[in-house]
Amino acid sequence: MMGMYIFIFFAYLFGPLIVMSITAFNSAEFPSISPWECFSFRWFNEGKIAYDGQHLAGLLSDWRLHDGIISSLIIGAGVVSLSVPIGMAAAIVLTQVRSQLRDIYYSISIMPVLFPGVIIGISTVVLWDRIAGLGGDGFISDVGRNGIFLTILAQTCFISTYCFLIFVARLQRFDQTQEEAALDLGATQTQVFFKILVPYLMPAIASAAVIAFLFSFENYNTTVFSILSDQTLTTVIASKVRLGISPALSALALTIIALTIIAAVTYEILRRRSEKKYAQSQEIFVKEKAASGRINKEYKAGFKVPKGIVAILLVLVFATYGATQIVKNDLYGQSCIDAADQEKKSKFLEQLQTLESNELTEEELSGGSLGGTEDYGDIFGDPSLFQDFGGFD
Amino acid sequence: MSADVELNNVSVTFGSFYAAKSVNVKINGGEFFSFLGPSGCGKTTLLRAISGFQDPSEGSVLIDNKDMFGIGPNKRPTSLIFQNLALFPLMSVSENIAFSLEVRGVSKKDRQKRADELLELIALEGQGEKKVHQLSGGQKQRVAIARALAVEPKVLLLDEPLSALDLKLRQRMRTELREIQKRVNITFIYITHDQGEALTMSDRIAVMNDGEIEQIGPCDEVYNNPLTPFVATFVGENNPLFGTVKDINQNKVKIETPDGDFLSTMNENKKLNIGDEAIAFVRPESLFIPRDGDNFDNQIEVNIESFEFEGNIKNFYATLKSGTRIKFSIPNAIDTSSISSGTKLQLGFESIKSSILPKAQLAID
Repeated sequence: MMGMYIFIFFAYLFGPLIVMSITAFNSAEFPSISPWECFSFRWFNEGKIAYDGQHLAGLLSDWRLHDGIISSLIIGAGVVSLSVPIGMAAAIVLTQVRSQLRDIYYSISIMPVLFPGVIIGISTVVLWDRIAGLGGDGFISDVGRNGIFLTILAQTCFISTYCFLIFVARLQRFDQTQEEAALDLGATQTQVFFKILVPYLMPAIASAAVIAFLFSFENYNTTVFSILSDQTLTTVIASKVRLGISPALSALALTIIALTIIAAVTYEILRRRSEKKYAQSQEIFVKEKAASGRINKEYKAGFKVPKGIVAILLVLVFATYGATQIVKNDLYGQSCIDAADQEKKSKFLEQLQTLESNELTEEELSGGSLGGTEDYGDIFGDPSLFQDFGGFD
Repeated sequence: MSADVELNNVSVTFGSFYAAKSVNVKINGGEFFSFLGPSGCGKTTLLRAISGFQDPSEGSVLIDNKDMFGIGPNKRPTSLIFQNLALFPLMSVSENIAFSLEVRGVSKKDRQKRADELLELIALEGQGEKKVHQLSGGQKQRVAIARALAVEPKVLLLDEPLSALDLKLRQRMRTELREIQKRVNITFIYITHDQGEALTMSDRIAVMNDGEIEQIGPCDEVYNNPLTPFVATFVGENNPLFGTVKDINQNKVKIETPDGDFLSTMNENKKLNIGDEAIAFVRPESLFIPRDGDNFDNQIEVNIESFEFEGNIKNFYATLKSGTRIKFSIPNAIDTSSISSGTKLQLGFESIKSSILPKAQLAID
């Protein structure tokens, strides 16, 4: 029963992601699993020129997406390099503030998290528009109306608060006598900072940097205002979705998911390795300490196949089998796509013919059995008025 | 290489609270000096005033006859060993020891050399590459000492560094500290609430209470001739007998208590008059069970309540006629198997082994 609940929970959590990932491999123009056309990587590559001449960009050929990613990376780097020092400084100040002021200071410091991101975005733009207006045509005006610059500032406003919270948590466990010990041993305040505090805060610096970057990368509601005429990844995606979704977005999502999983797995492997190393050093230490041979027996190093490798091998076997099946049934490759296009084109032509056969005759338009325009002429006005209207796109 | 430390009328205040009040001490170069007192008596504050973390509100701290006011801890010729040792967990043992040299810009080679020398001094040769968490409690202790000694300070300050160790190790470290002090021959200023530590290691001790120094002197003098009831009860154990002064003959004072009159010895600095309220003190080890032919100055009748076996001695808890509880100890070598709770006994003590002081606050209140 328990297992069932867990399965439902994970299905709820990852189901949409899995479905989306699969649609990335369907050659159809609209992200779907059924009807399935062909297995294809084209949404990761160049996309397609549709049978009606419209170009549907794939991941590799979409220059707007590329520009968006580049801006997002620049903004992310900017936000990290501002938020981490600001958060760290604020947290260090918190340790120096006396008890009564402390609560007030803390509340003020975490306030940006509580503000709606929209307001932060708009207020940044409003403020810098005024500042840009003051500076005439020079540098200030350029900077003040630069979307990337404004977005870095706006995002830093609240992301530095998350960094602050990370540093506060780490600093709470800091033994202040270490600072005093270093001072007593002749270190200057600067040396204490760089030789004692910064090494201690290193894990917090790393996680604050990662979190700041991720928050910046995925932020939309602040960015959409402060980015002005530029585009980040999130605003590009949002504007694309407004025009209708394409499997290229599924491909992008899958790429991001894959990168996340690879990063997480790598981190976990590294962490386990260092943990193992630490445990080994502790074991040696304990063995050295133990005078008697009580716990000093030799451990036999048996050969064990790591579980991870078995899992990877299994996945590879299934993938190879699946791929051969797909190729055998002609579900992959240009021929399949051409066939699908041909089918759709013929369907389109069929529909066109049906429409044409249904076209009203001149007689029917001018009255006939339908009654004509005489009675309603005043209502529709001049029938040639919309002649040049191209229709809704 | 050692320096005198002089505290002239030093007071440290936090708001209206006096952490230390008009402290006057002169600590000689090369001396092992201890501040002894209960927690919260201001001894750590004094240490911080000497090391430079806290400037005195009044008075002055002189090290080597130089006023240290406004000089930061990193500029003073002192090293402090913290209660929790405050070793740097991210550095190796050698890096810890050589930290003070590193911040002074000493080359890596010289640092390593000095660290190796000090590792030898603390008998941890070849263990410099270890991380701090791989050391045992006593080894950490020694590394902290080596780290403090690396800059060759003139004064070493120790803030209850042994309090986290277990009993055996603590006893061994006492001897070791004393030996290291003799070898490096610098001034040691030691802070503790453990009178055993203070008495075994120090040349002189200062007993503190409520921010003030109650008595300064060599260990045996403080133990044998306490100047205040606080010192009498804080340093070692003591049985107080409350009463009024009945008769004074030179330094022999007769005190009248509900349990009878006792003859006691008056410290020459403390003047008592007939009729004054006073306390006579007698230590548990100075109370004896008289054998035939013994003739003590004082006799006291007790009713045994309970006893405990401590190994080398046996402690007895008894009540006097008035209900006052007293404690006395008999060496294990003497057969006391006939004594059990309810036994009535006659005890004796010599007037020379008892001191009488004007009534004041006790440490055990």
